[in-house]
Amino acid sequence: MRLSKIEVVKGVRLPRLTGMFRLLVPASFFFVIAVLHASPVGRSLVRIEATSQEPNYRTPWNPGEVSGGVGAGFVISGNRIMTNAHVVSNVRFLTVSKEGNPKPFPARVLHIGHDCDLALLTVDEPGFFSGMSALDFGGIPEIESTVSVYGYPIGGSKLSVTRGIVSRIDFQPYSHSGMDSHLTIQIDAAINPGNSGGPVLQDGRVVGVAFQGYSGDVAQNVGYMIPTPVVRRFLKDVEDGHYDRYVDLAVSYDSLFNPAARKALGLKDDGEGVIVGSVYGGGSSEGIVKPGDVLLKIDGLPISSDGSIEMDGKSVQLAEVVERKFKGDRVELDTLRDGQPVKLIVPLNQPWPFTLHSNAYNEKPRFVVFGGLVFQPVDQNFMSAFEPADLRLRYTFDFFVDDRIYVERPEIVVLSGILADPINAHAGDFRYGIVEEINGSKIRKLDDVAAAFAKPVDYHVIRIVGNGRPIVLERRAVEEARGRILSRYGVTMEQNLEK
Amino acid sequence: MIARVLFLGLILGSGVAFGGTTPVPRKEAVPAARTGSESVLRVNSTNQAYDFFRPWTKKLPYSRRGLGVLIEGGRILVTAELVGNRTYVELEKATTAEKCAAVVERVDYDSNLAILKPAEAGFVKGMKPLALDSGVRVGDPATVLQLEPNGEVAETTGSVTSIAIGGYPMDGLGLLVFRLSAPLQQRDGSFTLPAVRAGRLLGLLMRYDARSQTADLIPPPVIRHFLEENAKETYGGFGRMGVGFTATRDPQLRRYVNLTQPGGVYVTEILRGGSAEEAGLAVGDVILAVDGHNIDQDGNYEDAEFGRISFSHLTNTVAHPGDTLTLKVFRGGAVFDLPVKLQGRDRSKILSASYVMDEQPKYVILGGLVFLELSRPFLQEWGSDWTKNAPQRLVYYDAFQNEISPDRGKVVFLSQVLPSQDTLGYESLENLIVTKVNGMEIKSLADLSEASKHPVDGFQKIEFDEDPRSIFLDAGSVEENRSKLQSEYALPSLEHL
Repeated sequence: MRLSKIEVVKGVRLPRLTGMFRLLVPASFFFVIAVLHASPVGRSLVRIEATSQEPNYRTPWNPGEVSGGVGAGFVISGNRIMTNAHVVSNVRFLTVSKEGNPKPFPARVLHIGHDCDLALLTVDEPGFFSGMSALDFGGIPEIESTVSVYGYPIGGSKLSVTRGIVSRIDFQPYSHSGMDSHLTIQIDAAINPGNSGGPVLQDGRVVGVAFQGYSGDVAQNVGYMIPTPVVRRFLKDVEDGHYDRYVDLAVSYDSLFNPAARKALGLKDDGEGVIVGSVYGGGSSEGIVKPGDVLLKIDGLPISSDGSIEMDGKSVQLAEVVERKFKGDRVELDTLRDGQPVKLIVPLNQPWPFTLHSNAYNEKPRFVVFGGLVFQPVDQNFMSAFEPADLRLRYTFDFFVDDRIYVERPEIVVLSGILADPINAHAGDFRYGIVEEINGSKIRKLDDVAAAFAKPVDYHVIRIVGNGRPIVLERRAVEEARGRILSRYGVTMEQNLEK
Repeated sequence: MIARVLFLGLILGSGVAFGGTTPVPRKEAVPAARTGSESVLRVNSTNQAYDFFRPWTKKLPYSRRGLGVLIEGGRILVTAELVGNRTYVELEKATTAEKCAAVVERVDYDSNLAILKPAEAGFVKGMKPLALDSGVRVGDPATVLQLEPNGEVAETTGSVTSIAIGGYPMDGLGLLVFRLSAPLQQRDGSFTLPAVRAGRLLGLLMRYDARSQTADLIPPPVIRHFLEENAKETYGGFGRMGVGFTATRDPQLRRYVNLTQPGGVYVTEILRGGSAEEAGLAVGDVILAVDGHNIDQDGNYEDAEFGRISFSHLTNTVAHPGDTLTLKVFRGGAVFDLPVKLQGRDRSKILSASYVMDEQPKYVILGGLVFLELSRPFLQEWGSDWTKNAPQRLVYYDAFQNEISPDRGKVVFLSQVLPSQDTLGYESLENLIVTKVNGMEIKSLADLSEASKHPVDGFQKIEFDEDPRSIFLDAGSVEENRSKLQSEYALPSLEHL
């Protein structure tokens, strides 16, 4: 599925993201904003203040910049607080305070799901949860029905509530990870930085968790919440004490509207079936589903030619069946292969090559510094930090999954920077070059770089993809320069191979 | 290198202020020193390019005006860019404004040169041809000629600030460039201007940067090569070695490869099917000398006329296609002589051509699906930021074409869909590379056209190398709807091969 060109801006943490919400359009506050000290919801709400530390991929040896943010959360069963993953990502210190009581309580993260932007917190201090009431979850609200959003958005420091109606129920990208799409409910109540993690209520039950919106100059009165099927899945996934992430069929499919195509594939003119385009390597369907297969039913539910199915009385994308499943579960596909009906069983897992394109959190950047040359594996965090224009690097990154580059190269290791010194004075042309080989060893991942440089050689020889000239560093010169480079550039560690 | 500021942007339209300033007072040269109106002609060219998105249509015509120089044989020399994609070229006398249509005798986009001839032989009678200059050195004065509206020659004198190899506009071929520092004024008709020195032609101005007031000239050696080739029975153009190289300044690299000889350049890339590949040159070789001229560690040799310049001048300009050059090569500790027979570039074998001029791009329209062959002008339709904005897979094919097997053929792709009954459900498909049609492999649009004549079981099956992998058309219906499609979208033809 291709993402729309409009970028969803995270509607989230107060100080950090205000820049993205360039202006607060008064018109987006159509709905009543009221401060509710005494409302029953007030006994479930918490204000979350998070201090986080985000690593800088350009100086990966540094611990990173510390910043603070504000979000909302609400108490659910089991003395747990639910919020968005992006409110508590990369967090170093976390406090929560009850509505109407400014006293902060230190809190900790129990579980975090970056792919669904949900997290669970708890407070260890005895007595925190006394007097708090846990909220219950409802179902998917009807289109046009009214919902209320609670949180601590910009515009003041106290609780705010905005009200809106359910505008749309659809699959949408989740901007926190940048590559996951799940069921999402669009509402026309304003969702602004600080609303994140707050409950969206209807008839006293939680029907969603506010999480993202558009900045004012892109669209107005468009806010998104995570609906309860996604929330329930997250809660079920962590029941075993561990979050396993979403599973995926890892196939792409296209609609089948064209009459000639339907005829050629031996399909009736009944508006059913989609055709499989790609079966992604390393994914659940590899070796089971084939490109060109026509998917007719998923777990017995008929698939329309636009890829939608009917589930709980609502029309949703066929992926919704898989969305509600867990690692190790199976999905049954009724297909037509070369005109013959075939039943396929797909055991579900997570396709790892895709994670390259996902924003990563709570990870330390990995790198190796050698002779003033900085080597790093490329992932989405790296690309966001450097925004390299180098065509070969962009190709290798963009088509990592499609062109099965991961088979030869599980990690794309590049020469990301040069800490200038006489010994590397002639390496400047190689910046952003993908490392092919070091000292005769193929480089398939960052660990290979560290291992290759450990070889006893007189000349360290680094070969870059697409460049016939090697980078040559004399061993003795590298040793001499080592202390000098580290102290001159304030490099506190020469390598980090752990996430 | 200065930014490629073409005269196109600066000087077309006489109302545009030059560099944002008001004209400075004229410094008139002494009238007696003029090389002048008896050797230059206004050249007005109306040009019209094809729309690479819709290759059955042409874009708006535009005109370029420049000054041509009369050379021997009653011919006029101009830049190729002036007359690129021409529809009508006309010569105009400076003072009398007498006009005459021109015929293009030869145009070479690699060297950015073209020869025109007046349609009426007597048109240039009484005019004085200019001979080519030689022996210019850095620091020498040079004069750029422009015309006042009244036909008087306006001279601007500057000086030659560098003589070096530079990339030429159309194909990036590295040929000699004279750089001039000269404060040129905004004047009408300055797309191509001659520069002279002591009554001889020093070169044609092909680009000018108004901010730094530097002008790049196509110098006499390049012009001479072009004229010599033009005089031959078969025009061979400019040859090229087809090698990418880098300096050997890095002492660690020199010690690693045991290079004890002074100088030399390290070969980093060999063009597929190029002269160097045919001769057996390999990546990792070090070129020490070309035809007896020793090469320093940056690739320069001592030229008798111009001093230290890149050895590319020897291979691309001094030598002609068909000539054999002798390289002194260092490989694995040994030094040997390697003869290289120089070839021109066979443009028909290029996977994605850097320019397509004077010809209609090929296309095939099948039931509303528009198929094209990849070329850089197509990608450039996305604007100056095309490497970012154009379809990425096509950009990569263009960028890394030298790494793709020559057997790959051309890259044929579905560029867009003209929606019709037959393409129902395919409306949003665009820029998908075609691998097969009706089971036949597609290496050119001609292949595609041929394959479409052999539908299988009544269907046209088109396969792509990415999603949606394959689509079908009803062959009978496509055939039936041909004229309807053609008239509804006003297509002059459903294919151009």
